[in-house]
Amino acid sequence: MSTRRAPRRIFTSQKRGQPVGRGWRLNQEQQREVQEEKEGERRHDAVPRGTCMSMCPTREIHDREAQSRLHHFEMLAGTERDRRPRADPSRMVKEYSRPAAGKDSTRPSDLRPPAVLQKTVSFLIDDIAASGDLQPWTEVYDFIFDRLRSVRQDMIIQRVSGRDCVAVLEPTVRFLLYSSYRLCGEPLRRYDPRINDTHLQESLSWLMDCYARGQHPNQEEFQALSLLYNLGSARAMQHSLELPAHVRSSPAVSLALAINRAFLERNPVRLLRLAGRLDFLQSCALHRHLGACRRDLLLLYSHGHSSRNCRFPLPRLARLLGLDDPLASQLCLAHGVEVSQDAVVVFSKASFVEPEPGELRCPPFHGLVEQKQRERSVRSIIHGRA
Amino acid sequence: MAHITINQYLQQIYEAIDNREGSFCAELLSFKHPHVANPRLQLSSPEEKCQQVLEPPYDEMVAAHLRCTFAVANHDFVEAYKLQTLVVQSFLKAFQSHKEENWALPVMFVVALDLRIFANNAEQQLLKKGKGKVGDMLEKAAELLMSCFRVCASDNRASIDDSKKWGMLFLINQLFKIYFKINKLHLCKPLIRAIDSSNLKDEYTMAQRVTYKYYVGRKAMFDSDYNPAEEYLSFSFQHCHRSSQKNKRMILIYLLPVKMLLGHMPTHQLLRKYDLMQFSDVTKAVSEGNLLLLNEALAKHETFFIRCGIFLILEKLKIITYRNLFKKVYHLLKTHQLPLDAFLVALKMMRVEEVDIDEVQCMLANLICLGHIKGYISHQHQKLVVSKQNPFPSISSVS
Repeated sequence: MSTRRAPRRIFTSQKRGQPVGRGWRLNQEQQREVQEEKEGERRHDAVPRGTCMSMCPTREIHDREAQSRLHHFEMLAGTERDRRPRADPSRMVKEYSRPAAGKDSTRPSDLRPPAVLQKTVSFLIDDIAASGDLQPWTEVYDFIFDRLRSVRQDMIIQRVSGRDCVAVLEPTVRFLLYSSYRLCGEPLRRYDPRINDTHLQESLSWLMDCYARGQHPNQEEFQALSLLYNLGSARAMQHSLELPAHVRSSPAVSLALAINRAFLERNPVRLLRLAGRLDFLQSCALHRHLGACRRDLLLLYSHGHSSRNCRFPLPRLARLLGLDDPLASQLCLAHGVEVSQDAVVVFSKASFVEPEPGELRCPPFHGLVEQKQRERSVRSIIHGRA
Repeated sequence: MAHITINQYLQQIYEAIDNREGSFCAELLSFKHPHVANPRLQLSSPEEKCQQVLEPPYDEMVAAHLRCTFAVANHDFVEAYKLQTLVVQSFLKAFQSHKEENWALPVMFVVALDLRIFANNAEQQLLKKGKGKVGDMLEKAAELLMSCFRVCASDNRASIDDSKKWGMLFLINQLFKIYFKINKLHLCKPLIRAIDSSNLKDEYTMAQRVTYKYYVGRKAMFDSDYNPAEEYLSFSFQHCHRSSQKNKRMILIYLLPVKMLLGHMPTHQLLRKYDLMQFSDVTKAVSEGNLLLLNEALAKHETFFIRCGIFLILEKLKIITYRNLFKKVYHLLKTHQLPLDAFLVALKMMRVEEVDIDEVQCMLANLICLGHIKGYISHQHQKLVVSKQNPFPSISSVS
């Protein structure tokens, strides 16, 4: 193969005349854009635009009612036990349906425009998620999960982008994060954390793409949440380092970065201390990593304090772990760390073990996160400060 | 070349194919060659002419190539990319039909390279207009290159001299470039495995091997496998041709942090020679255990380090820096039972923010766990008790 060092510039055809002055250039670009849009429309199908002004297309309401495929959250009060329950149109929400060959998912009457999508999301939060009456919460989660998925599907088909997109994705991410904490420990048949994780990562990723263009007032909050949820991910950290300075230096992102740094430097004491400063939702985002952090602390101390005369006070260790004494003692036991009668920990590098899979359940250790919730309602958590 | 007619051009291609002249044919299809600037060849519908002279699938391939020169002349890289995809697809059809011969490898190299370059350019163009997502086109280009790769890798029948396997490493390097750009490093793994198990792996050209080891070294760095990373990047650096200063510098950018993590600091001369003075303060800070200087150096050249993707690895040098700092404390106090407070004071002098005695214990525990300190912490006595023999083993012996 030729090893000639040919220059990368591959053509020398005439250059377009350089525009003078910014105003003129914008005009030129706009003109070109309009022309391309027209050409684009000639070449491809036009992007579908929804005309369905309610949360559920009329056709679907009729179909599902006729086929008795209503969710009981959507039923008209008083008709739930009827042979064919009636639909409550003010509570019907379009469900997710898998795209399939022969199925036209681009019919405008079936698609909801961005304003309606946002109204739908608000309904799901205010009337379903935040309602204290609807139980069990796994069912609330399943319903909202599915309906939010349908909302995202409508967005994809209509190629919604920018602020409209962000207005839907932000509450979605908050909901999925909150759920990852609230439903932690539920049996697999009722809640699968991996499925939640997949959709959460997809939504976060999409949100990050939206943030790349334009101004978004909540960006700092979500960059921080992403960093915390993806603790230790070099990719997430690299992405954060490349953010604009004002986002990177915001309190939320700075704290999230500091926590990630503590993780990379393998300083769980520092990490857990910093984690104490997180608010409730941020703690939810971080919570799935806490088990590994506590385990690291016990491992490091098992090596670092390993000596015959080791006497490390349990209350102190408990404080470092962010747990009360009995829980700290339980954690030590699960990791092979000896705790004597007089509440003294005897670290030894030989005795540390990894706990049996499934031995340690997460929910008993939720205290650190739980106490942050305090008075905050589910509604305010998912809507954000607003 | 810049003045030949379409008929002359097609005739030349026909003869090149007929005579199996891979290199010459490659030139006629490469965007590095001056023929692409020839307006007589920049046609929007050359299909008929091509069909008159060439057999399928060469007629499609050349027609797409000529339309591509037209698109490029109009700065339309999105169109150019789509057409180059056709070029590669048609080429692949022809290539697969070449039984037990590999004369067309040079052609594959040029069309693959142009595909990646156009994918890049097309994405840039779309991004400027606020459309398109980074990585979409590059990912598709990668899929197509993988198809080429499979054709090469599965050539089991031909003799070594005629084997298409000689094309594998070039394609892998192109794929690496894409995967690194779109940040999907995990896709490199199967390719690395394919080369490792190949009996040709040390027979490819040195240039290809240098590039290959550069990317594999960078991947190892990313996976925190610093010893293999050092091996690959060192090979790459040593065997990179003397005249490619720019490439040598690029390799060094990744080799230096790895070597530092393994305890080997670069000399001032080396940094000066390759214009990498950004590393000099970092080096000095780490050797001296000077956390303050390290933080300042990292902040000062942050943009450069982040852009190269080595900022996070350099932050890992903090651990080595703590070790060096604590070793100084040990030498100062000249005792084997070191009060924890002494380390806290040292850290505070280095203006480390918000550190308390618990964090100091954790840092020390980490260093003990890693093997950088031989000893143990006594919480009751608030002391670090170190071994009387070599309590701070050399970093290179530990890693």
